[in-house]
Amino acid sequence: MRQERKADFLASLAQRRRTLAKGWYKYSRNPLSVLGLVVLVLIGLAAALAPHITPYPAQAGAYTDFQNAGKPPSFEHFFGTDRIGRDVFTRVVFGYRFSLLLGIVVLGLGVAPGVVLGLIAGYHRGTWVEAVIMRTTDVFLAVPPLVLALAITAMLTPNLLNEMFAIALLWWPWYCRLVFAVSSSLRSQFFVREAELSGASEAHILFREMLPNCLAPILTKMTLDMGIVILLGASLSFIGLGAQPPTPCLGTMVADGAKRLPGEWWGTIFPALAIVIVILAFNLVGDGLRDVFAVEEV
Amino acid sequence: MPESILSVEHLKKHFPTKQGLVRAIDDITFSVAPGDTLGLVGESGSGKTTTAQCVVGMYPPTSGEIRFKEEQIGTAFKRRPKYVKGDLRIVFQDPGSSLNPKRTIKQILSIPLKVHHIGTQHDRLARMKELLNMVELPADEYLYKYPQAIGGGEKQMVALARALATNPSFVLLDEPTSALDVSVQGKIINLLIRLQRELNLTYLFITHDLSLMRNVSSRVAIMYLGKLCEIAPTVEFFERPIHPYTKMLLSSIPVVSDAEEALKPRKAISKGEIPSPVNIPPGCSFHSRCLARNGRCAEDDPAMVEVAEGHFVRCHAALESELSGHGAA
Amino acid sequence: MALLEAKDLHVGYRTFEGYLHVLNGVKIEVDEGERVGLVGETGCGKTTTVKTILRVLPMPPAQVQGGEILYRGEDVLRMSARAVRDLRRREITAIFQDPLQALNPMFTVGTQLRDILKDSMGGRDGGRLTKRDIEKRCIVALQETGMPDPERIMTNYPSQLSGGMRQRVCIAEALSREARLLLADEPTTNLDVTIQDQILRKLDELVDEKGTSVLMITHSMGVVRDLTQRLYVMYAGSMVETARTKELLARPRHPYTQGLMKSVPRLTGEGISEGIPGRIPNYLEPPSGCRFHPRCEHVMPVCKEAIPPFYAVDEDHFAACYLYRS
Repeated sequence: MRQERKADFLASLAQRRRTLAKGWYKYSRNPLSVLGLVVLVLIGLAAALAPHITPYPAQAGAYTDFQNAGKPPSFEHFFGTDRIGRDVFTRVVFGYRFSLLLGIVVLGLGVAPGVVLGLIAGYHRGTWVEAVIMRTTDVFLAVPPLVLALAITAMLTPNLLNEMFAIALLWWPWYCRLVFAVSSSLRSQFFVREAELSGASEAHILFREMLPNCLAPILTKMTLDMGIVILLGASLSFIGLGAQPPTPCLGTMVADGAKRLPGEWWGTIFPALAIVIVILAFNLVGDGLRDVFAVEEV
Repeated sequence: MPESILSVEHLKKHFPTKQGLVRAIDDITFSVAPGDTLGLVGESGSGKTTTAQCVVGMYPPTSGEIRFKEEQIGTAFKRRPKYVKGDLRIVFQDPGSSLNPKRTIKQILSIPLKVHHIGTQHDRLARMKELLNMVELPADEYLYKYPQAIGGGEKQMVALARALATNPSFVLLDEPTSALDVSVQGKIINLLIRLQRELNLTYLFITHDLSLMRNVSSRVAIMYLGKLCEIAPTVEFFERPIHPYTKMLLSSIPVVSDAEEALKPRKAISKGEIPSPVNIPPGCSFHSRCLARNGRCAEDDPAMVEVAEGHFVRCHAALESELSGHGAA
Repeated sequence: MALLEAKDLHVGYRTFEGYLHVLNGVKIEVDEGERVGLVGETGCGKTTTVKTILRVLPMPPAQVQGGEILYRGEDVLRMSARAVRDLRRREITAIFQDPLQALNPMFTVGTQLRDILKDSMGGRDGGRLTKRDIEKRCIVALQETGMPDPERIMTNYPSQLSGGMRQRVCIAEALSREARLLLADEPTTNLDVTIQDQILRKLDELVDEKGTSVLMITHSMGVVRDLTQRLYVMYAGSMVETARTKELLARPRHPYTQGLMKSVPRLTGEGISEGIPGRIPNYLEPPSGCRFHPRCEHVMPVCKEAIPPFYAVDEDHFAACYLYRS
């Protein structure tokens, strides 16, 4: 008996490994996707290990050194220093930390409810349940996102937490719609009917039968969304509604440095480039994921 | 009449749609004796699949009764008692979509076992292997595969194993082999016949393939636009088809030998299109394509009459010629 | 010279698991005015063959490793893209299994038919056809397929028509090109049996009238019996038997064909055989020699060595099997 259970476990594991290997094969066909992934991994590692790999971790937050202010890029300061003497390179790396954190929290908060509501709405398609959920979704989607984010952060005190909360609130309707589209077409598939007819519970059908079939578009959208969330976060902090100084936020850095263009260009250009690179990397990874999930036709 | 395990009486199922009322099933009555195989044959719009779906509980009937083992089950599956769900099972037509592509065979088979609390977790693994062995699939290999990795015939065998997981007494087979190659079909049909004997199963076998029906079922029922045209025991049915639609169907079958060609009715060449179920012709719904029609056919809908032991027909013209002793037209 | 002649075709697909060697030396011949059937089960490569002839194979995963397809003496595989387009426009036409996919849902039947006529006719006759001419030819084409009320059908969208009618439209489209060769890939598989009967009869009539050559691909033996004169049986990427249709169906010689014929349910009620043991081979590692040998009850050592050529078993009846070597 024990032996059998072990064999069963190993076999399941082997199957999972095989699925991953196949996924990687499809992903790696496109060198750009691989590049995107490498860049993301590097950024991720850098962000995670920020205090340990940056030359001047103390300069990330509250710090002043007016003697060193406004220095152009050099060997000691790769990206130069900003107007109050902080090392731009260090701040960019820490800035990544906050941007990635923002992305993860927003998506974490926003995706799950959206997905669950979408599944429920799709399963109960044609009933009042669907109507209530989808009309609520419509209302949220009708408001322009930036306006909504502005309104919320303006109502509450502008800081990173509230910024995340505001953006998360914007995000769930998109996932709800996406999942609704997939789940309502899945609804009529025979394997769902079969589960119903067998007597499976609704929870089982939603999460065990339908959800695995929705994962592909959800994951792809999440990677592409990371870029958008980061950009939105940067936009909010650019206009001063997000994380407040001295928190190293890429958007704030761009705003601050913009006043000094074109003379002290390094203060703006490097953070801006950092934003562009991370968003591009996410997009490339999203494209690659789409390839992985694309159904082959042979 | 022998005691029946499933009996359907005056079943109707109507669907209101934008184009009008679709009378998918329009008053059908039949029963199946235990251990039998009733073949339900029809083309598109005949209502055969809807009938299976009503019997298994996907839709509540608009009116009429469905009795399973003497118990009234004519409701949607939500209201049915759980043991009925385990006792009356269905194998769907399209192997491609009846298995969740994102679940392994093991996960797929475990659903009915879990839902009906069959055995403990330890037992279930053994039961799954037993089921796969029953359908002649190598268990150790197949348990961990995904549906895309196996062929159409094998998918149907897994669907069958899933249906049998709860030890049912009745299995509905909705065109189980229509999407499969003929060499695979043979394997599955023989499997079905063998399992029927071993496990005491009763089948309601739905198909459009009359040649298959000839070799599989003990009774045959023909449906057209929601109504039954003819029911008879198989041999009687093929030797003495009476209803004009039956004859048209038989004459349209592509056969592979001269011997079979000789069995096909000669003068019943197919003509006309199958009307849309929203626009059913008045009177006898087949009259617009019928070669034997007379005055009554466009006005009166005929009733089902027993013309020989166990042989029922619903047709004015046929009855008249039967009664006058001249035999089928 | 045969109208269409494929010789020693080797085609495969590149995938994650490796290289799928599907077509393994396919040879097929269709003469002028002849009606040839190609039967085989799922996965045997018949659709790949048709796609290769029409040169519509998606070339990145697919690769043509060798062989030639001669249409009136010219190798289709080596023609320029333009020549192939001309071929598809004037010489070879096709009907496929799913008319819903073949017809554009956004345009009416009339628009599509007119487009096709304009495309195939314009230039050949030298002169331009007037609108009225085109309209008339469309109506005639629809009438010929037994379509009731063709004028109204011209104004309908494909989604408004039944399956049988859609297939009739496809037939009208195909035959209005006055092509020399018609490729029909499972044209009636999705249709009801009474409608299938009507469509096949009509196709038979039309093809007879116009003298078109036909290559009909299907998995149904019954369908080819009435419609074709000669039959090829395909298994796992190569032809295993060919003969006059009725002869082949009545007296199959290749073990695979024999197994297949035994599995076909008969109206005469003999019961259904167990089918053919085993499965179709894995194209990643196909069996050596004759690809059927792992499933064959008459297997001999020589079967594993090399793929057998066609041996004559009777007049105009050939089987690719070492059983008939002498």
